[in-house]
Amino acid sequence: MTHLPYIVTAYGLTIGLAIILGGGAALRLRRARARLAALERPSRTGGASAP
Amino acid sequence: MTRKSRRLWLVGGCLIGLGTATALTLSAFSSNIVFFMAPSQVHAHPPAADRTIRLGGMVVAGSVRQQKNGDTPVNQFNVTDGQDAVTVRYEGILPDLFREGQSVVAIGTVLADGSFRASEVLAKHDETYMPKEVAEALRRSGKWDPRYGKAPDAASWNAMTTSATGQDKAASQHGS
Amino acid sequence: MGENETVLNATPSLAARTGNFFHRYANPGRFLRLGARLQPWLTWPAILLSVAGIAWGLFLSPADWQQGDSVRIMYVHVPAAWLASSGYMGLAICSLLSLVWRHPLADLAAVEIGPVGASVTAICLATGSLWGKPMWGTWWVWDARLTSVLVLFFLYLGHIALIRAFDEPQRGYRAAAILGLAGAVDLPIIKFSVQWWNTLHQPDSITLTAAPTMSTAMLWPLLVCTIGFTLGFAAILVARLRAAVMESRVRTALAMRRGRADSHDAQDSGQDLSGAVA
Repeated sequence: MTHLPYIVTAYGLTIGLAIILGGGAALRLRRARARLAALERPSRTGGASAP
Repeated sequence: MTRKSRRLWLVGGCLIGLGTATALTLSAFSSNIVFFMAPSQVHAHPPAADRTIRLGGMVVAGSVRQQKNGDTPVNQFNVTDGQDAVTVRYEGILPDLFREGQSVVAIGTVLADGSFRASEVLAKHDETYMPKEVAEALRRSGKWDPRYGKAPDAASWNAMTTSATGQDKAASQHGS
Repeated sequence: MGENETVLNATPSLAARTGNFFHRYANPGRFLRLGARLQPWLTWPAILLSVAGIAWGLFLSPADWQQGDSVRIMYVHVPAAWLASSGYMGLAICSLLSLVWRHPLADLAAVEIGPVGASVTAICLATGSLWGKPMWGTWWVWDARLTSVLVLFFLYLGHIALIRAFDEPQRGYRAAAILGLAGAVDLPIIKFSVQWWNTLHQPDSITLTAAPTMSTAMLWPLLVCTIGFTLGFAAILVARLRAAVMESRVRTALAMRRGRADSHDAQDSGQDLSGAVA
């Protein structure tokens, strides 16, 4: 008897979560970096429009 | 500086206190934390007839009997901890890992005749992880019979792992 | 009096020395530079080793003599369990740094460890359940090992909630640090539960004191997976922490700007604020 569904589910959950956590962290880092760069730009009016 | 040291000692003291309290609580309740009773414990302190307990031990080699009651299999086997044995009766399908020499945990009640009627049987596998072909080779060479005890030390068969898988690869290459 | 002074000087030295060591890395600017340099060295080996380890465990490693192919769940379950415990160890260390030394970066790190640690603990519980059903014959039992890991999961959840529960972040940091430190008593219970009490969960195969009871053909992929997942955990944490430092800088900069824009009279107070946060 094979237990393939259990193995596939376990690996699927792990890989899925790794992608969500890793991708989420990368996106958040990118957004934070962009906002900080916009604020630190010398032109005052351009930075203030950041949400 | 002194404030920091005071905080450090305070935190350390709190942790020691908490650790001691936890250790005392756990040792006081340790008989309840134990997941199962061994057959010798069941004989020494027989539980009340209506109380559900978990009985754990090794399935005695050669003690497994199976009958069919209509569609459901009726199983009977002895469970031992090396000192004592209890006969277990269980109606239902046993888990895949169930075999002679395997550790199991049976959930159920002790009957008046000292035997055990299980409502559920769980298989407990040990911490030895071994490739199939190594286990097969050990069995063939007579170095280990899984029905009678734990596998020998990993160091003694790790060399076989590489040779066994090597043979496997060689065999598959020959085949292809 | 002279003696008293030397005693006073001698006692804080441990706290002071440790504090100095950690405060060197408390400077957020220094952390940002260090983190940016460290990030690729964590991320790429993590991806490479995790993919290699998973492929090795799934397709190349041998099936177990009694568990068959189900043993492959081990290659994700064991690293997740290891990370659940060591992640909480990190959280406890951050809590200590926060409580004793008021380390600002430790507070930010504690905020970021919580969700990641809770996620790997959830993976550990889920994969363990998926392993237990075909092998033991049950999804869940209340034995000491499983229960203590479930307690760890709830400790993570409690920490996540508590550290965000206050309007004033500092109060949340303090309260959560106390929970984080107190919860550390669960770690030795998890570790030794399989030795102190009889459990359905098998004892550890890999210990510091004895030779592993596992074939080397399974030990190697497990090791590769564990190193890969650990690097991945670290990479995600560093990325989140860098983002958190940048976000706090954005918040301060916006607050300063708002202060300046709101009233020209209150320019002094705005400068006070910038002085306080810089």
